[in-house]
Order: sequence, then structure tokens, then C-alpha cells
Amino acid sequence: MSENDFYTPSELDRLRMENELLAFEVRFLKARSGGPAEVAASSVSLSRMTHLEEAETDLKLLLRRIRNSPLGLLARTNRNFRTLTDRYLDRSDDVMSKSPPQRLAYLEGAKRDLVLLLGRLGRGPLGVMFRRRKSFRTLQERYL
Amino acid sequence: MYRIPTDRPEHPVFYAGRFSEEVTDAGMPADHIVLSDWDVLPAQLTSALERASVLVVLDMFSFPFESLTGDLVDVPLILLLPSGLDANFLATVFGKAAFARLGFFDRIAASDDGLWAELRRKYDLTEGQRVEVEDDRPEHAASEIRAALEAEFALHATFGEGDYEADRYWAERGDALAGNAPHRAICSVNHSPRFNKAIHRVQAKTLRPQFAAARGTQTEEVPFDVLEVGAGVGRWAASFDLAKTRFTGVDISVGMVEAARHNFPQCNFDLLGEEPVLPYGDESFDLSFSVTVMHHNPTPTKRALISEMWRVTRPGGRLMFLEDFVSGEWSARSTVYPMSVTKFVELLVEATAGQVVLDHVESIRYQHDDFTRGGLLSVSKLGVAKTW
Repeated sequence: MSENDFYTPSELDRLRMENELLAFEVRFLKARSGGPAEVAASSVSLSRMTHLEEAETDLKLLLRRIRNSPLGLLARTNRNFRTLTDRYLDRSDDVMSKSPPQRLAYLEGAKRDLVLLLGRLGRGPLGVMFRRRKSFRTLQERYL
Repeated sequence: MYRIPTDRPEHPVFYAGRFSEEVTDAGMPADHIVLSDWDVLPAQLTSALERASVLVVLDMFSFPFESLTGDLVDVPLILLLPSGLDANFLATVFGKAAFARLGFFDRIAASDDGLWAELRRKYDLTEGQRVEVEDDRPEHAASEIRAALEAEFALHATFGEGDYEADRYWAERGDALAGNAPHRAICSVNHSPRFNKAIHRVQAKTLRPQFAAARGTQTEEVPFDVLEVGAGVGRWAASFDLAKTRFTGVDISVGMVEAARHNFPQCNFDLLGEEPVLPYGDESFDLSFSVTVMHHNPTPTKRALISEMWRVTRPGGRLMFLEDFVSGEWSARSTVYPMSVTKFVELLVEATAGQVVLDHVESIRYQHDDFTRGGLLSVSKLGVAKTW
């Protein structure tokens, strides 16, 4: 593709990258509208925010997979699992209305919960089965 | 998705006004449109310019410049200066309506060197904006301008053979276009000047307020030091008040650097060597920026350039990047290395050791696209100055 063939990204790539760009702009504008102190707070830790948001996405993905798998029925009997799904899957829309410091606290909590969940899943009776999955090993390498 | 109209290609339009008979008699190719002074009622003009690649105004006195509104502002203009008149008279009659609205993609056809020099000085025009004609009678000038336009677009670019290597590609591209077709070197080489002017307008709308913000409260008595990485023919120098700004540009192409020096003799343009190392001392600039340069380079080059831009910027100064952050997969023939805004920010933080604060983010949607492709990131450099 030469520079003149204005590229047409594949639909998925395009949506993902466009979404990232617009979400980044919205996050910046929200932080700015929150006042000067919040701008500074959000600006200093750009890479940290990115990392925490990735952790939140990974946590949601993991919870959704477990809930929709054959193990879902068993998992739902666990109170801790129900708390996590309630917090990150069922009420995640509330996050967008949070102020920047609240959102930061929420994301840090998501990262902590993800680390705990990965640890427990890896050590539990079904740990061997989880560790055989490449995506699970990738998450462990990334967060543990 | 960019929509290139293939059924109705763009073509030059010549407004001959009162001289339409003479110009038509002088001969014009079939795909060139010649308009008379009866053809420029607003509705007719819009229709006539719908597919215009460039509008050549041969009779400035009868042309309704105020009708160029909406999408028509993106049509590049070439104005033939009427003969036998001095610069003051022309400025009085056409200053606000015509000359003051000329941008980097608009040009003036002039036969008189002195008149051109005076207008150039008065309206901050560049040498690259002149189309030199020997005879300024409309029918003769039309032929000369037509020949110049044909020569500009007849150039077959030979750069970019084989797999894409950013430095080789952009050096060859710049050198090939610098002599005869410097305006084609801006933005997209084989798209019409109208397309490129439209892209430039959108970018300028985003960048200029940020340039002003970067100058901020700095007193005007202190020169504002600006560096553009990948300056090309220097088109962004025109966005600064050069009486109060020390503008420096750096580019990988010898031809582009020469063209930029020709356009802006009061500025400083340097050649970037094979290594992405900026030939300037630490903390030399108040603002360092690049426009659609990073996304054409692989990650290691991006990292090196960002790091260098950070090094040469003073603490408290700004770094700006106007880039595309939405793109497809990279291939050996692609001139774009895709990188999402998140990845770019990660790279920015890594290359500057986190010593930056985000000042401004703005997404950019070009009018030819149905999605948001570009974005501007502006960051301030943290730290304490090494020297006072």
C-alpha cells in the first residue's frame, strides 16, 4: 500500500483503535473539566492509567469467560465470585459517571482483584486445568 | 473510508472573466473549464467548481471572491496579478478579499519581480507560492500557467520501489518532488492539491490554537524557539509570527531542506543524518513538534525521535505530535506503521522517562473519512533547566 492508497483498516482494527482514540480524548476532557488539580493527577500517571484500564478489561474478560463456561454454575455458588461479577460486569456502567479520583481508585481495586483471582484460580483444585490454557498463562505472566 | 471519485476526475478551472473569448481562442484542453464573467453567480460557481482541482483567476477585477465559501475554500487558487498596477493599489483593492485569504496552497502568477517581492513581504507569502509568467496578458498567462500545472503533475515519481524503508523512501520522495512539484510533497503525493489543501486546513485548525497556547505567557520580547521534525517544504513555519519566532526545521531530504530554505530564508532548516539524532544542543527549543511523521516510522525510530525531541526541548516547553492513530496491519509495502494512541502514549512515557505532563488531546476527523483517524497530543516537559 503506497501512501496514496489511503488505508482502510480492517473493521475490527479500525473500531478498536478509533475507540481507543476517542476514549482517550474523553478521559482527558473529563479530567480537565474536573479542575486543575485533577488534570495534574490524571496527567502524571498516564501510563499507569493505561495499565490499570488494561487490567480492568482483562478482569472483565476473565470473569465473563468463567461465568459462561460449564464451571459458571459452580462459580456462581461462591459469594466472592458473585461480588466480583456484580462489581465489574453488572454495575460497570456506573464507572463512567465517577470522578477521576474515584475512577482511579476503582481501577486500582480492579487490578488488586485480578491479581487475587489469578492467584486463587492457579492454586485451587482446578489450577492445573487453568494453567494448561495459554490465555490464562499470559495473564499470570502479566500480573503475577 | 476515503472516497476517491473515479467517475468524474478533478480538473483545473480557469476564470477568464472579461477575457474569456481570448483565452478560449488561445486553446485549452477539453478537460479544462473556462468561465466567463457570466458564469460566476453563486449557484453557478458552486457547480462549476464542484470538481475543480485548482481555480486560476485570470481576471481578478470581476471575480466574486466573497462567493468562495463552504467546501469551495479548499479549492487552491492561482491569482494572475493584473498588469500595470502597483502593490499599494492592488493591496487596497484586493487585500482583504483575496491576498489576505491566501494560504500555503494558494499561489500568485506574477511577471514583475518587484511587484511580487512587495506583495510577498506584505502578505508573508513564500517563494514557492509564485508562478512565474513572462507575459501577464490573460490569454498568454493562461497558457503558461497551464503548462506549469501540467509539468507539475506529469512528474512520474520513481521513489518507493521495493519494500518500504522509511528513511530511504522519504529522502527519495522529497528529492524527486522538491524541484518541480514541491506542493505535491505535502500530505499525499498523487492526490490533487484540493485534497491536500483540505487536509492542511483541518490540521491547521487543530494546531494553530495549540501553537498559540505553547507561546502562552512568554513575553514577546524573548524569541520563541520552535523546532519542526520532518519539516518538508516548511509549510508550518507560516503559522508563526516569524518576526518573534526563531523557527527551525529538520528533514531527511536534501531537496526538501533546500525548498524550505527558499520558501523561508529567515528560518533555519537542517538536514537530518542517517541516525535519528537532532543536531541541536539540550534544551534549545520552547516547542518541538511533528506533523504526520511518526506514523510513517517503525517503533525504534519513533522512540529515538521522541527522545531526541524531549532532549532538545526546554523544561516547561511543549512537545506536540499530530499523527494518525487508527490504521490497518503493517505490510512490507505499507508506508504507515500502525500504533494506537494508547501504545503511542506508552512509548512517549518510556522515551521521556515519564518526565512529561499531558496538556492537550484532540481527535481529528478529515472530511474525506467516515471515521476518526488522527489526533493531536501535546505534552509539557517536566524538570528544571540545566542552565539559566
